[in-house]
Amino acid sequence: MKVTVQNKNGELTFDCGERESILYAGLRQGINLPFECATGTCGTCRARVTSGDVDVRWKDAPGGARLKPDKGDVLMCQTRARSDCLLRVPSELIVSDNAGPAVRQGIIRGLRPLTRDVMHFDLHLTSPMSFQAGQFVVLEAAGIAGGRAYSMVNFENDVERLALVVKRKPGGRFGDWLFDNLSGEAEVEVFGPLGRAVFRPEENRNFVCIAGGSGIAGMMSILECAAQADYFRNHNAGVFFGVRTLADAFYLEQLSRFAAASHGNLDVTVALSDETISAPLHAEFPILKLASGMVHEVAAKGMAEWDRNVIAYVSGPPIMVDGTIRALIVGGVPIKNIRYDKFS
Amino acid sequence: MTWKRICEAAEIPENSVEKFEVDGITLVVVNYGEGFRAIPPICPHMEEPLAESGVVARCILTCTKHLWAWDLRTLEMQGETERPLKTYEVKQENGTLLANIEGELTYDFDDAAGDSDDDDFFK
Repeated sequence: MKVTVQNKNGELTFDCGERESILYAGLRQGINLPFECATGTCGTCRARVTSGDVDVRWKDAPGGARLKPDKGDVLMCQTRARSDCLLRVPSELIVSDNAGPAVRQGIIRGLRPLTRDVMHFDLHLTSPMSFQAGQFVVLEAAGIAGGRAYSMVNFENDVERLALVVKRKPGGRFGDWLFDNLSGEAEVEVFGPLGRAVFRPEENRNFVCIAGGSGIAGMMSILECAAQADYFRNHNAGVFFGVRTLADAFYLEQLSRFAAASHGNLDVTVALSDETISAPLHAEFPILKLASGMVHEVAAKGMAEWDRNVIAYVSGPPIMVDGTIRALIVGGVPIKNIRYDKFS
Repeated sequence: MTWKRICEAAEIPENSVEKFEVDGITLVVVNYGEGFRAIPPICPHMEEPLAESGVVARCILTCTKHLWAWDLRTLEMQGETERPLKTYEVKQENGTLLANIEGELTYDFDDAAGDSDDDDFFK
């Protein structure tokens, strides 16, 4: 099918297969269709269908709360084209020459609990993927409605194995499905890489990572990319990892290794929101600092000393990301230096 | 000109965003230090309530949802902002803040496109 997206500046036409969402079809062909979560929860990919037939998969997607379906409003991530169609999109669009995201199949293996509700898993792809540090993929499993976004923890070029981490939430069907599959393998469809909250060593900037819970995933990829480039020889960075209690922290050994190899230029603080600290340094990994408080408040304390041009990466639950963004803006970080991922 | 009283200017602390209702019209007032702005209560991007998600610092209003921002001195759009901020004219008289409210300001989509039944796209 041919899908044409229009906005006030013009229009673009692209192919759309029968079994892919309009959003994915556009993104894989290099068109920057607006989106944020890619999974039906945020509403950013809204569009109005002005002609043609479409199928909407998840009609009750929370991101569609403010739309008017009777006027043709849809979320592009939930919509498939049944005929050639025309959509109006309320944002500027450009086509990029860079390789866009693609669909692959993947097999989940190597499930391994890291804490009581956080699990690491490896995703083995049918074909290699290259991605930038900080990007994510959306996984979809047969029988579970909707996709889930996960940031890559590893960083390698042209790789067939993605390392991902999931935090189990009450009622979270994907997390439950993964935890229940602990001993086996599971097949998923993988779309990606996606995301603009990326780190590129050639930008030559000092940076700060502020992560809540599983938001630390993409930060690990950023640190791995930086370590491979020996970036901390002449740049500095701070990491603030927010969890509830020390027992909820994970990847501490890796974080400690990154800090130890950083020529003293990588500072890592674990911020405990639900526990008071008994000592300022971690007992087993004394290169890691400990602090009590919400991660954005802990990060804000030292903000006056940050490099004025620092890039701030933020990832975690939406409320934590919003609170952190607010603290960064009030603290004087220009919005062009703020890169974030928000997964509902 | 229909000047309506919003509040005492001193009621709005510097660098804050407060919501008011005036004659059935909801608006948000921002004290950005160098002045005041009165604007519709929602962000022109995705209708985020600015009294909750708006933050003012260094004369710039930012909606923390997606980082749309405007310099309140000039109304210049910052960064990736794609739509201008609509404003009600304001003035102060003896410490009272007034806004010129002829009718409610709302954000429409593509009002110049000529599609008459589409002018409330995403309103």
